[in-house]
Amino acid sequence: MAAVMGFPLLYLGYMSLHRWSLIGFAPPRFVAAGNFTALAADDRFVNSLWRTLYFTALGLASNLPLGLAIALLFDQRFPTRNLLRALMILPMVATPAAMGLVWVVMLDPSLGIVRYLFRIVGIANPPLWLSNPGWVIPTLVGVDAWMWTPMVALICMAGLAALPAEPFEAARVDGASAWQRFRFITFPLLAPTLLIAAMLRVMDLLKVIDIVYVMTGGGPGHASETINLYNYLVALSYDRIGYGSSVALVLFALVLVCTVALIRFRRAFA
Amino acid sequence: MRRRVLRQASLVIVGWLITGAFLAPLVWMLLGSFKTTVDFLAYPPAWLFRPTLANYAQVFADNNFPRYIINSTVVAAGATLIGLLFGLPAAYALARWRRSAIGVLLLAARMAPGIAFLIPLFVMFLSLHLVGGYISLIASHLIFTLPLTVWMMVGFIESVPREIEQAALIDGCSVMGVLARIVTPLTAPGIAATAILAFIASWNNFLFALVLSNDRTKTLPVAVLGYIGYNSIQWGTLMAAATLITLPVLVLALSVQRYIVRGLVAGAVSG
Repeated sequence: MAAVMGFPLLYLGYMSLHRWSLIGFAPPRFVAAGNFTALAADDRFVNSLWRTLYFTALGLASNLPLGLAIALLFDQRFPTRNLLRALMILPMVATPAAMGLVWVVMLDPSLGIVRYLFRIVGIANPPLWLSNPGWVIPTLVGVDAWMWTPMVALICMAGLAALPAEPFEAARVDGASAWQRFRFITFPLLAPTLLIAAMLRVMDLLKVIDIVYVMTGGGPGHASETINLYNYLVALSYDRIGYGSSVALVLFALVLVCTVALIRFRRAFA
Repeated sequence: MRRRVLRQASLVIVGWLITGAFLAPLVWMLLGSFKTTVDFLAYPPAWLFRPTLANYAQVFADNNFPRYIINSTVVAAGATLIGLLFGLPAAYALARWRRSAIGVLLLAARMAPGIAFLIPLFVMFLSLHLVGGYISLIASHLIFTLPLTVWMMVGFIESVPREIEQAALIDGCSVMGVLARIVTPLTAPGIAATAILAFIASWNNFLFALVLSNDRTKTLPVAVLGYIGYNSIQWGTLMAAATLITLPVLVLALSVQRYIVRGLVAGAVSG
């Protein structure tokens, strides 16, 4: 397995040091770190980097509290709980490309159901979700949150179910309120689980591409162009294989750094 | 007593509302697939309408849709089976001898963006004249079905008592024999669950198929893009196509519902 994964990555590293094009007759030319220095001066790349971090931050800020809240609710016993828990997996397994298109239809500015729902609650002119440069990222985060918040919730539910009962009983005897029990017992004990969920989400949020490609193609303008999408366009649409390889390595490094930071943080915590 | 009933009732209602909100887009897609264009464009939205199968007829009539279904099935089945073929022995070896190496390897596989594999694979397949063929699609999907298989199977294999294997080894069975005759039958349900998860991951994959397929080998997630043109969207047909793509996955996923999160932790490689 190490070989299956390792060889393409080594080749990627090799390509990233070259000026490499598939169309035309110029053979790959060695440029050392030239691609990487060019990245720093590439506005479109730098913007896509910040945009991806913004997307990731919004994603975490929406997924984690929402997922935790849902998990706390489902930690209570009530009829049909297990059925609902099973149904909740559906958004995260539904084919993202197909669901992205369904969302495009639902968000359609003239006949989409979302506009209708906003009308009902009295907002006559909601933003043009996907064609407004300021709204397109939050909207995509919303679609992503629809897919993945249930996963965060399910991970938290498993974490909650595994918590020891004694501290809660002791707190109840001492007369702690529900909020105090959450604040001083549940939350600290669940923090390692939340950090695992955060880590998984960060890995995927930084790499987001499917729904962006399908729903906006990076537009309007470049307003929703994430690193991964820019990477795809540069390498495989614009035929700048070497340059694209260096973008892919930067993206890999970014995911690596963020994940390792979260693992470290979790260790320091525990 | 009354307070308890009230509390239970409110939990049920809030629970259903939340789940309903998450299922709403799927329900909307399903409803839309049975609507005529007139019903689809109705404002306010038509909740009651006379269902039609015309959209499904349309999907099967004018495109190569059946061909794309076959493509997706071949690729997903291939990537699943080959993933199991290599993943099962690997998982067995890791579970029994090199426990510590698994975590790091799988974490690395989980972190790597798909595009980091896609670019080198594309260049290699291009020079081998494999781009556009099933082989390149199946091989590329192994990038995620293999780690997924190993990750899931290590867990299942560890739950098999070692004593049974040791008894077989003492009786003169080879290591591969133990794997084939003892571990595989004992973990059969786990293998089934793993296979389903790998199949779903491959079926849903978009980016690899976008780059490595051609008009003839296109898989469904790529083909569905054809329903959203620059000037006209065929609403009902798009919904019917999306339903046909998604429904098999939803049914499969519910059958292995208990393992879904574990599978997603190993990564369905998004991008």
